[in-house]
Amino acid sequence: MVPMARSVRITLNVNGRVHEIAVVPNAVLLHTLRELGYTDVKNGCEIGECGACAVLLNGKSVNSCMVLTVQADGAEIITNAGLGTLDKPHVIQEAFADAGAVQCGFCTPGMVISTKALLDKNDNPTEAEIREALSGNLCRCTGYGQIVEAVKLAASRLAAASSQREDKREAEATNRLHVSDAMSKGGDGAC
Amino acid sequence: MLEHVTPKPLPEVDLPELNQVGKPLRRVDALGKAVGATVYAADFSMPNMLHAKVFRSPVPSARIAKLDVSEARALPGVACVMTGKDTHGAKLNTDLPGQTGRAARAGSDAPVLATEVVRYVGDPIALVAAESLAIAEEAMRLIEIDLEELPGVFDPEEALQPGSPILFEPDNVVAQYKVRKGDLESGMAEADVIVENTFKMPFVEHAYVEPDGGVAWVDEQGVINIRVCTQVIEHFRSIARALKVPQNKIRIRGTMVGGGFGSKEDITVEIFLAFLARETGRPVKLVYTREEAFAATAKRHPFTITHRTGVKKDGRITASEIKMIADSGAYPYLTPYVLLYATGMAAGPYRIDNLHVDSIAAATNQSFTSAFRGFGGPQAALGYEQQMDEIAKALGLDPLDVRRVNYMKTGDSTSTGQVVRSAAWSEECATRALHALGDRTPSTNTRKIGRGMASTFQSYGRIMWFHDTSCAWVGMEQDGTVVLRCGVPDIGAGQSNSICQITAEILGVPLDCVAIYATDSAVTPLAGTSTATRQLYMSGNAVTMAATAVRKRLVSRAAKQLGVAETDLVVSDSRIAVRTSPDCFIAHKDLVKLCAAEGIALSELSQFNAPFTEGLDPETGQGDIWPDFTFGAQAVEVAVDTETGEITLLKSAACHDIGRAINPAAVHGQIAGGSHQGLGYALMEEFELSEGYIKTPSLAEYLVPTVLDFPRTETIILESGTGVGPFGSKGIGEPALTPAAPAVANAVADALGVRINELPFTPKRVLEAVEKTRAAREHEDTET
Amino acid sequence: MTLPTFEVLRPKTLAEALRWLAAQPDAFPIAGGTNLIPDARAGKLDPNTVIDISTLAELRGIRVKDDQVRIGACTTIAELLSSKEIAAQAPVLHASAKTFANTLIRNRATIGGNLVNNAPCADTAPALLVLDAEVELSSEGGKRWLRLADFLQAPFSVDKEDQEMLTAVRFGVPPANRIGRFRKMGLRKISCMAKVDVAMLLTFDDAHKCSDARLSLGAACPTALRAAEAETALTGKELSPDCIRTVAEAAARAAVPREGSEYKQQVVAGLVRQLLQEIAEEVGGTDG
Repeated sequence: MVPMARSVRITLNVNGRVHEIAVVPNAVLLHTLRELGYTDVKNGCEIGECGACAVLLNGKSVNSCMVLTVQADGAEIITNAGLGTLDKPHVIQEAFADAGAVQCGFCTPGMVISTKALLDKNDNPTEAEIREALSGNLCRCTGYGQIVEAVKLAASRLAAASSQREDKREAEATNRLHVSDAMSKGGDGAC
Repeated sequence: MLEHVTPKPLPEVDLPELNQVGKPLRRVDALGKAVGATVYAADFSMPNMLHAKVFRSPVPSARIAKLDVSEARALPGVACVMTGKDTHGAKLNTDLPGQTGRAARAGSDAPVLATEVVRYVGDPIALVAAESLAIAEEAMRLIEIDLEELPGVFDPEEALQPGSPILFEPDNVVAQYKVRKGDLESGMAEADVIVENTFKMPFVEHAYVEPDGGVAWVDEQGVINIRVCTQVIEHFRSIARALKVPQNKIRIRGTMVGGGFGSKEDITVEIFLAFLARETGRPVKLVYTREEAFAATAKRHPFTITHRTGVKKDGRITASEIKMIADSGAYPYLTPYVLLYATGMAAGPYRIDNLHVDSIAAATNQSFTSAFRGFGGPQAALGYEQQMDEIAKALGLDPLDVRRVNYMKTGDSTSTGQVVRSAAWSEECATRALHALGDRTPSTNTRKIGRGMASTFQSYGRIMWFHDTSCAWVGMEQDGTVVLRCGVPDIGAGQSNSICQITAEILGVPLDCVAIYATDSAVTPLAGTSTATRQLYMSGNAVTMAATAVRKRLVSRAAKQLGVAETDLVVSDSRIAVRTSPDCFIAHKDLVKLCAAEGIALSELSQFNAPFTEGLDPETGQGDIWPDFTFGAQAVEVAVDTETGEITLLKSAACHDIGRAINPAAVHGQIAGGSHQGLGYALMEEFELSEGYIKTPSLAEYLVPTVLDFPRTETIILESGTGVGPFGSKGIGEPALTPAAPAVANAVADALGVRINELPFTPKRVLEAVEKTRAAREHEDTET
Repeated sequence: MTLPTFEVLRPKTLAEALRWLAAQPDAFPIAGGTNLIPDARAGKLDPNTVIDISTLAELRGIRVKDDQVRIGACTTIAELLSSKEIAAQAPVLHASAKTFANTLIRNRATIGGNLVNNAPCADTAPALLVLDAEVELSSEGGKRWLRLADFLQAPFSVDKEDQEMLTAVRFGVPPANRIGRFRKMGLRKISCMAKVDVAMLLTFDDAHKCSDARLSLGAACPTALRAAEAETALTGKELSPDCIRTVAEAAARAAVPREGSEYKQQVVAGLVRQLLQEIAEEVGGTDG
């Protein structure tokens, strides 16, 4: 008989969805996530050498094959599919697609996760910082060149979007100022 | 040396500007993959599914004295255990995948499950299917086996000695070829200098990031469906034969493949899945672990290649004698063809009138060797390009100049007498790759800089006596959108996207108006293998034929509608308009309704046939082998730390004439990626076996390049427009890899002043070479 | 592939963890899991019980107080790398953290795990040896400090009772004028087992003479070690080319590579020479 260890009840928050599940102690997060349907988290080696299984665990990029599921109890997990969809892709995902960084695509989810972790704390990384951030993700198809370009493209698009939002906020604030000015002046019909 | 190279201007080529083709559009598969929506082989599950494991030999050479699976069978949760008895000793034909020609098989067979002897570590012996993976793994532990170890042979030269253990009757010779061209003796006699060298290259592992896997089930018509990552959906024929079922009762549904590089050209999990699905009547899933993928699938052939070359003082080659010996591993698989490729490309892109090539592949009790990107071409290139540099050194000439004297030009013949009809831009590519390196970095005492180049050629399209064909179906829907149905497996190089872009071009629609349904042996026209750099050529041409036929009918009806001559019309932007007055048009979505109402066919199924030949002369090796060749070059600069043995790649540039780029971003990606694998081949990759046991069982021991190992390779595309693919294109998948390793080998030899004759160039080997140079210098000093 | 079956205990405090470990001394603490999980998968370990200490706050944190740096055993390598204190006070440790595996592994692997595992290629050990680090071993019965050099006994073997847990690492803050260097040599540029590690921490007096020399090797010997002969050869000397050569040769002799890996001695000599050359240029005052 396969000896069955006692199940442990845990809670995983994956891509905003709460899963209350019972898992065996020797369950590994990679497999649990895939069994829950998050098959965008890929199994490339199970020993932390390829990065295909990378997820964000409480904001940190980790190999999900190197985490016992029970260790993730109560954690917030983001997988690549949680960042965007075909209809609303994340800026990073779209940048990868546009920059020719996706060939077979199997390393892509892990690459996107590592990119997200990087851009979350460094919005204007140098090439060296980009390569360092991706040091745990193997790619066998692209030679990495277009992947590095994709990260740069994502960074610049995020910056542009953020500055657009900044401009918009400023414009709205200025507009409000004008309106309140106008109103305090008794209004001259300018708005 | 190899510095300040100024490329000559290219000849004028008239390549008309197109709308979709030639543009670096976002590939049709890219976003699905990027958002994690693509369902790869292991991502798929079905209700009531079993999980399978394969029980494999732990030793390289043994007789199966006893195999007892009764305890495993009895374990609760185990649905079945199958041995070679249960498969009735079924064999797999492991050669000629996907072919319908009548070429004689090379007789490559492998048992589905070993029954009497095991021949390599990983040889499959039994199959288990159980309710869960954990139960299947436990069942594996309950399988009892008595293996009586037999003597094994682990080196191809030893395998050819009389008295060696025999794996392949009668003498371990799996394949053998010869090329006899001109008069070798007189060519050698004419030479001023004769240069002889031997080069060795190891087993290499593909290390695609997606391990092999799939799911199989028997459907309501009794058809065994196999959903699998594969480069070949035509394997259903071989599987049907092994299962003794009709060929139309096996359906292969190929998935988007997470990297193949030739390893998924062989049958991997499909055969086991088919047997288990039939036996249990339930869906079954089998996914290899990484370690299992390493042990159970193909490797690149190790080669030892000896070049003996006669040359004049000006560098011209007067005669060449080449000997090659390859390791076929435990089963032949595609060895006969890999050896043929290596033999046919052994002399390189050079004009050699007096040539002997003798090649042989022998069986050993090691991992079986089969297809790996380049398929013997990269090994041949490591031979001829290192030899060219040695020739340059012996003559005191610049390596580029020696090559210039010998390069083949269009109209010259290859070593097998095949006339090169397309552009042979070896020099154009080499000079541009070298030019891109810029100024040479200065050396220091302990950090020696070296530059190296390699000019290579690599076939695209399959061996022509295979009578290769490819089919595609193109149709337009009632709203003007386009459907493409094609069996093409997409292994990441943009196989499906390229044919979509071609279709979009011909039918004048934006790329996102084309939907492709692919890779299903039951419902998509068979397009042959995604191997041999053939898909763009074969399926691209098939799609061109089909789309052109549909376009013709549309244009004809539109001309009638608009009252103009057909030649007055342009097809683009989802409409057909009069060239000189664009306001006069009919939109596709309106045109198709007219056509449909009138019974005009809005779809076409086409078949493209490659040129068919019948083979080579067995005595001389003369004849045409492939449809065409891609010529290219790579140049690199390395820094060798002579104290630690570490090699750092400083610069890398590659240039290939790809005829015409369908999607330039994809071509750049292929050149960069192929180069990367070649750079890894030279600098860090060795699948190590010792007495048949695997010393590099996982990605922790078998090192592939990371993002920090090499700088970006500058990729330069040339377009001669002379390829036999659609729009004058040539293939790039395999050619991209071929020049990288020899360029590095030559750069390292340049840095050290002495050549390391065996790949990869590990620190240990570098330090041995440094020691050799130091000892030689000391010896010289004492002599003088 | 499934891991072997085991129970998991999830203590809420260190005291609880130690109590449970005392009751089950053959239990395996797990922090980052970057050794335990692959080893269990490969059948090298078959734990009955695993104690998850990864969430215990008491085992994390880097504190500098009274010229002592104290690092919680479950501090990840990433935390070591991003710590301003470590970068400022112990750059040799910062440098070794930079070469450790890769970004993803660093977010899980811990300094405690690296030391307890004591693989020959353990990357944090050489730097900690030149820092004269000590490890804190805690059990239900109390705790003790042990010199790291004494703790690391043999490949995959450390001086620790079963019911003890490594809970912290500490070292004295090196004087500000101490110069540290670390180099790792492997078969690729990142994310691989070290073939050779060299760490050094040197102090120079006003006459550019080395008043304090610490030099350690890793991966080229069964367990990380201080190269005593090389340190002696360096003490009291200026970094002349001759001195550098002597020290490099002495360091090479300290390496004890496995059969077939004798080339590592050359690598040690090369790395030591290069690092000393760099330091000589920084310190100045020699013809080197």
